[in-house]
Amino acid sequence: MTGSGSKTLSPQRKRRRRSGWRGLVYIAPAMALVILFFVMPVIFTGWMSLHNWPLMGGTRWIGLKNYVRMLHDARFLSALQFTAYYTIVVTIAIFAVAFPLAIFVEKQRRFVSAYRTIIFLPVVVGLATASLLWVWLANVDSGFVGPALKALGLVDKSPNLLATFDSAFLTIIIMVVWKIAGFTMIILLTGLQAIPADLTEAARIDGAGRWQRFRYLTLPLMRKTIALALIISVTGSILAFDQFYIMTSGGPQNRMISVVYYIFNQSFVSFNLGYGAALSIALLAILVVLSIVQLWLLRVGEERP
Amino acid sequence: MIKRLLAATGIATLCLMSAASAADKVEMWVRTGIGEAFKKTVEAYNSSHENQVSMTEVPFSELVQKYATAIAGGQAPDALSMDLIYNPAFAAAGQLEDLTDWAKSLPYFSALSPSHVKLGTYQDRIYGLPLSVETSVFAWNKDLYKKAGLDPEKAPTTWDEITANAEKIRALGDDNYGFYFSGGGCGGCMIFTFTPLVWGAGADILSADSKTATLDTPEMRKAVDIYRNMVKKDLVPAGAASDNGANFLTFTSGKIGQQSLGAFAIGSLVTEHPDINFGVTLIPGATGGTSSFAGGDNFVITKGTPKMAAVKEFLEYIYSEDGQKMMAKYGSLPTRGDIAGKVLEGLDPRLQVGIEAISVAKTPYTLQFNDLINSANGPWASFTNAAIFGEDVDGAFSNAQSEMQSIIDSGQ
Repeated sequence: MTGSGSKTLSPQRKRRRRSGWRGLVYIAPAMALVILFFVMPVIFTGWMSLHNWPLMGGTRWIGLKNYVRMLHDARFLSALQFTAYYTIVVTIAIFAVAFPLAIFVEKQRRFVSAYRTIIFLPVVVGLATASLLWVWLANVDSGFVGPALKALGLVDKSPNLLATFDSAFLTIIIMVVWKIAGFTMIILLTGLQAIPADLTEAARIDGAGRWQRFRYLTLPLMRKTIALALIISVTGSILAFDQFYIMTSGGPQNRMISVVYYIFNQSFVSFNLGYGAALSIALLAILVVLSIVQLWLLRVGEERP
Repeated sequence: MIKRLLAATGIATLCLMSAASAADKVEMWVRTGIGEAFKKTVEAYNSSHENQVSMTEVPFSELVQKYATAIAGGQAPDALSMDLIYNPAFAAAGQLEDLTDWAKSLPYFSALSPSHVKLGTYQDRIYGLPLSVETSVFAWNKDLYKKAGLDPEKAPTTWDEITANAEKIRALGDDNYGFYFSGGGCGGCMIFTFTPLVWGAGADILSADSKTATLDTPEMRKAVDIYRNMVKKDLVPAGAASDNGANFLTFTSGKIGQQSLGAFAIGSLVTEHPDINFGVTLIPGATGGTSSFAGGDNFVITKGTPKMAAVKEFLEYIYSEDGQKMMAKYGSLPTRGDIAGKVLEGLDPRLQVGIEAISVAKTPYTLQFNDLINSANGPWASFTNAAIFGEDVDGAFSNAQSEMQSIIDSGQ
């Protein structure tokens, strides 16, 4: 019995094994790239983080001391705090703008592709370029915003937007929303368009109002899209650097030092590459945990709840 | 025929080879903000020599890390104009060419600016030689003084006087302002122009051995008050609060009554903004006295460069009378004491104030200069912004004092 059983199974197994090998061959180029440009650098960064590794001069093994130092590093903790604050504010702001925009451009109406293009345009500007542009817009003397407010008679004196934390932070948030919202809108738009029209039709016939259709039909069906947009937005915000470096050089009195900015400072201003590497590993761990939490919260991968 | 062809190609190859070896191209980096002096000297050298120097300007706030990363990556330039306060750190790391024997063979070696040579010396070997000398001085715009009804030839000697003059200039209205400084977290600008207030009054921000931060002194409080007061009275343009050094030379706009700046700026003003009629004097201390920051750059050579001979030839040109004269014309004070008088002859007399400042000037000596002072996110840079523009002066003092101390301690 067993003999005949194995006889009938073996060709199938063979085929499966062969197709397994073939699959490996197919993904080999991608795997090679990931190993070369992600896995190996991460391993090397991990190795560096266990050393006192100055930019110039010899390295010295110090075990986990860099990680212990991190726990007592007040500047790192305040950088984390600021990054969290920035991430929450900017993510909410981006979604608050991008969702209505997505709904607006989803419907077929006149000039809809013109709207889509215009809203998407800032996305193709580089972040550094956009930051420089906004530095000029916010300039107190030769810029646009301050002098315009003054010309309209709304203020007596052109305000220096980048001089205080609140106004500088607001300027950066507006810049980032202007720059990023178009991209989030496109992602959300694809989700909206994937909802079959007959479902909405059926709900309407059943007497569901506009808000009810959005809450009980659109939102649940867009869960995966929202998860994607959310993870991209949160990850991007946690890794924010250019805008703070260019627009405020770390902000009035160092109050806008994001985590990446701090890693940059430690590595290339103070030349502590080892400590910078340890901070990068910590940031990687934080990002992985946050992404898992977000995927779990939005229950991606499961079918209907 | 073939023989002739061979000979011809042989000669051609030889020519090409000798041309390649005779004209070396030296890669050199300089920081921004040192004015035109070095640029013009390079131009003069290139037009009169076979070897060429190709100069790259790097933003002053990033030069140190760019050079350090370039060394680590094997892409470093042959030579560098290095802010002299960084010289000890790079020499200690073993990244610079030892110049001791060559330097000592120069006939004018003993006449080279001694403070530069001292900072270029590490464990009795010389790794850096003086390239440019600059001191900070106080400048006022004579035309604006006249318009405001002040005596344009009378240099202010106290900060009370400077504040009163600033008020009169501000009273001219429009965008005429009485005073300017780069207060948006520019550590380098503020150590250069603001600490002389404290030094002149007899205090310092670091102890003599650089192991204790001594920021919170009555003299510093007084100096901060002086600047705060001028900001509060709207005598300083609003842009000062966020100027990270990019607009350090706002004085050249002709709308600023008074500003502390450097000898390089005198050179730039004289040669590029001849329409601005200005006077210079020493920076008064907060409670009397005068002081200045003696800075400038050392010429350093990256270890292992194959173009030593060309680099040395260039440096010898800089030390020649022509080279020194060219540098001085654009505001870099002479680095050779023995011919200083001859070099400055016929040049703008205001440069003489820059020379006088050397006798009262200080240069802080610490291996952690970048972390403590120059870094845009260092404690000194954020202190100057928080104390002068912020709400909480006491908090600014205590934060900066403790952060400076912790950086010093972690470096021991």
